[in-house]
This record gives sequence, C-alpha cells and structure tokens, in this order.
Amino acid sequence: MEPESQDTRTDGDVPPVRITSLTKKFGGFHAVRDVSLELERGEVFGYLGPNGAGKTTTLRILLGFLRPTSGSARLFGLDAWSAAPDVHRRVGYVPGDVALYDRLTGWEMLTYLGNLRGGLETGQVRLLAKRLDANLSRQLHTLSKGNRQKIAIIQALMGRPDLLVLDEPTTGLDPLVQQQVHELLREHAAAGGTALLSSHVLSEVQLVADRIGIIRSGRLVTVERLDELRRKSLHHVQVTFAQPVDPVLFAIEGVRDLDVNGVLMSCAASQDALDPLLRAITLHHVVDLSCEEASLDDTFLAFYGNGAADAS
Amino acid sequence: MLRDVWTKTVRDQRRALLAWSAALVLLVGMYAGFYPSFHGSNSYNDLINQMPKALRDLFTAGAGGDLSSGPGYIYMEMLSFMAPTLLLVFAIGAGAQAVAGEEERHTLELLLATPLTRARLVIDKWIALALGASILASAMGVAIVAFGAAVGMGLSTVNVVASMVHLILLALVFGSFALLVGAATGRVALARGIPAAVAVVAYLVNGFGVTVSWLTPVRKLSPFFQYVGHDPIRTGFSLGAILIAAATVMVLVVGAVRLLRRRDITG
Repeated sequence: MEPESQDTRTDGDVPPVRITSLTKKFGGFHAVRDVSLELERGEVFGYLGPNGAGKTTTLRILLGFLRPTSGSARLFGLDAWSAAPDVHRRVGYVPGDVALYDRLTGWEMLTYLGNLRGGLETGQVRLLAKRLDANLSRQLHTLSKGNRQKIAIIQALMGRPDLLVLDEPTTGLDPLVQQQVHELLREHAAAGGTALLSSHVLSEVQLVADRIGIIRSGRLVTVERLDELRRKSLHHVQVTFAQPVDPVLFAIEGVRDLDVNGVLMSCAASQDALDPLLRAITLHHVVDLSCEEASLDDTFLAFYGNGAADAS
Repeated sequence: MLRDVWTKTVRDQRRALLAWSAALVLLVGMYAGFYPSFHGSNSYNDLINQMPKALRDLFTAGAGGDLSSGPGYIYMEMLSFMAPTLLLVFAIGAGAQAVAGEEERHTLELLLATPLTRARLVIDKWIALALGASILASAMGVAIVAFGAAVGMGLSTVNVVASMVHLILLALVFGSFALLVGAATGRVALARGIPAAVAVVAYLVNGFGVTVSWLTPVRKLSPFFQYVGHDPIRTGFSLGAILIAAATVMVLVVGAVRLLRRRDITG
C-alpha cells in the first residue's frame, strides 16, 4: 500500500475524492466512461447532467455499492470499493431515491443509523431537525416527500462527516428549506468539509457550488468554476414590440438563435450579452418581455454539443 | 432494539413472532385435544396401513405411522408435515427478506452507507433469523410438553427438545438458503421461490426414498432426513444429523457473505 492510505485522519494532502479513469459498464452499456476528477477540502462540487447521464452511477461507486469496471475511485486515499466500511466513517450520503424505514419514526431511524455509526449525537440531530423544521416524532410513512427528504439529509449530516455525497438532495424541498440546506453545505465547506452534490438543473446548485462538472452519456465533458459557467449560461429572451423591428439591431456578440418575425423577437443570450441586448431592446417600445434562464441541457448543448456527440 | 441490525430485525418481527407463536401453541392444543379419541384405537392405524406403502412413507416422512401412541401421534400430526411446513414458511420468508427485502425497498443503501460491512450485515440478519426460528420452535416445544402431559401422551421432554432442535436446524438450512439466494440476486421472489421448490423436492426425496430404490442413496442428502430420519421424538438427538445440518448452514452463510461482497448493489 502506498503511504497515503495508512494515514486517513491527519491527511493534509490526500484529496477527499480522487477519481481516476473511472469506467463502469452494465453489460454492454457504458454508464460511466473514463471519468477523472479530484475534489479539494472545503469545496462544494456540483455534479450536473441530464437524467441517465451517469451521475448516480458515479456517486454509487464512491459509496462502494458498485465496483468499477476499470479505473479507481479513492476517498481520503482509500479505495471506495474494497475499503468501503472504513471510508464510510467519514462520509454522509443522501441517496437519489430516498427510501426510509417507513414503520419507524424519524427519531428511531436516526437512532438506528447513528448506532451503526458508533452512537447518535443527539444534540447535533436536534439542531439539524430544528434548522430544517423536520418532524422526528412521526412514523416516516406518514410524511410527505419533502419531509422525508429532510430526514435523509439529517441522516447524512448528523455524524459530522468530512465528505458529503448528495444525490439530488434538494428535490421536493420548498425554497426556504432549500436555503437552509445550502447554508448547511456552506458551513460544512467553511469548516473544511467537502461536498459532492448532483443535480440535473444548474439552478439547484448554482447558489452553493464552487465548481461544477458536467457529465453526459457517461463522460465528464467539462469541469468549470461556477462563475465561469454562469457567464456562459444562456437566457431565452422573448420580446413583443409595439412595431416591427429590424433584426440588425440585435447582432450582438453572445446572442444566438436570433429570430425576428414582425413584432416578435426571440433569441438566446449568454449572461455577458444580456446588458447590450437589453439596451438594444429598450430603443423600441416594448409590449411584453420574458427572460428565462435556459435549462442546463440547452446551455450544455450550445457549448458542449459537439463533444457530447463524439462521446456517444 | 435499534442498537444494531439483528436487534432491529427482531424488533421488526416482534408482532409476527408473537402471532406465529400463539398460532403454533393453539395448533398444538387443538391436536392434543383430539388425542384421547385416537389413543389406544387401532382403527386409524388400520386406515393408514391400508395406504400404498410409498404414499404412507410420504405422509409419515418415512418414519412409519402409529397414531395410537403419544409420540407416534405427535409425530404424525405435527412433526412429519405441519411443523416443518410452518417453520419453513417463516424461515424462508425471513431469509428472503433479510438482504433482498432491504434491497428491494432500497433501505440496504442506508445500511451499507454506514461503516457496517457486508459480512456483518449477513451475519446479523442470520442471527435474527435463527432467533426467530428458535422462538417459534420453543413456543411449539413448550406447548407439546405441556399439552402432552395434560392429555397423557407420555412424551419424553428430552426427545421433544431434541425434535425442536432438529426442527430449528431444518428451518435454518432453508432460511439460510433463502438468505443466500437473496444476497446473490437481491430479488425477494427468487429468494423465496427457489428454496421453497428445493424444500418440496427434499421432502419428497426423504419420503419416497424409503420405498423408491433409486432414491434411497440420495435420501440421506435431504435436510428432512437430518430432521426426522432418526425419529427424534422416540430416539432424541442425533449428533451426526446436527453436525451435517450445522455444516450446511455454515456453508450457506459463508456463501451468502461471499456472494454479497462481490456483487454490485444496483438499487
């Protein structure tokens, strides 16, 4: 064994997550192919991609549920598959498809899982439950999807793990609770913890992630700092003018898919282009305007469409 | 009761175990109530003896039929068919739920995301299974001794205990088999179906093996032979049968651990 595997608690240099040329095949289907990724301490990483792109498979490999076909995934220097139980002392996990022990109350389930981790930190659980406004005294099958999700999040955070692996953690949560979760993640990162969270929508992670990776058809197509991607992310702009307008007006760098049809104009614009575009628009009398952030898929297609086509 | 996996599993089964135990006690009580009308009468024995031998062996699991004596009556009415059937239904069900049930409900991931090892999971689930089967057999054994004494069956307590120990081992063989299939496949239906089918075959092999000559050599391989081949209600413990059953269980549990450890949990 290399020396880094020996020493897991006082590791200054060992990255919390190091994925190297990771490939996972199910039969002939490549769920993940040749993914390499490294996360640092104190980082929140958003793992983005459309459904079925390989996000969940990657996370499940990190948790040691799936064995890599080739390549490796190491957490704190330990192999995710063969050293899974040791790794799990330092990892909190929220599965994508949250299943709980329906016949237990939230408190009972957390007690059970806490005991499997060597004891429940009741103070920490109470604190988390309060912040997320979670009901721990009711049987879990009586709770709504969002309230079940809260229990799953408490379960992941209660052991004060060094690494959080969260598969679409905020789905089903109302905005206030989402905010709380984001705040918890930021505190976790500020204290030196690392978080890897997946999502299929950029908006879900953009408030909290430092970096994002985009996975498509099993390939990690790009890894970027979030501010960089936001600059690129497209907005769908639709305007109805009082009078027909001249398309030439909107020939601005960063504006694409321009379509002018009489009084109607529609286009896609990167964030950089929004300001000049709006200035051009307001030269005319505007009847109606809508500006929507494009789905990640659209932004993705616009910028990484070719690479993705090569990958599949 | 939420300390670890086996206590939690027993906790989940507590109502079922209570209901099963009560049902078994009632069943024994009912049969005991009928005993006085069989006792000393040979007419039922004549009826059984008129059956073709192969069929009689099947009904009596190869130990012959004598309804007029206490041990013979308990053997025929409870131990030859009813008791093993009920215990197997319980044990195969519990074994199938052990890993495959958690996996199908996706709660297996919650467990395996903790520092719990896959081996420990299998062993804890097995402990819960063994405890459940033991509780049911104990309830039945106590009922047989108590009701047997009440209606004067003249049963040896040691032999009743021996019968129950062999019954527990029989249940554990098939329960562990169900656990293994569940650990290997993650599918409850397979983990129930395959051991149930094998149990039927094993029962038939033991029953027909007395008469059907080509089955005779394989009869001793049947777990049912380890269970009643030596007629425990009359002869007590068989060390050989205990060792064979225990070894079978151990092989199955080790197999379950190995199969679960090498497998993807696909969810």
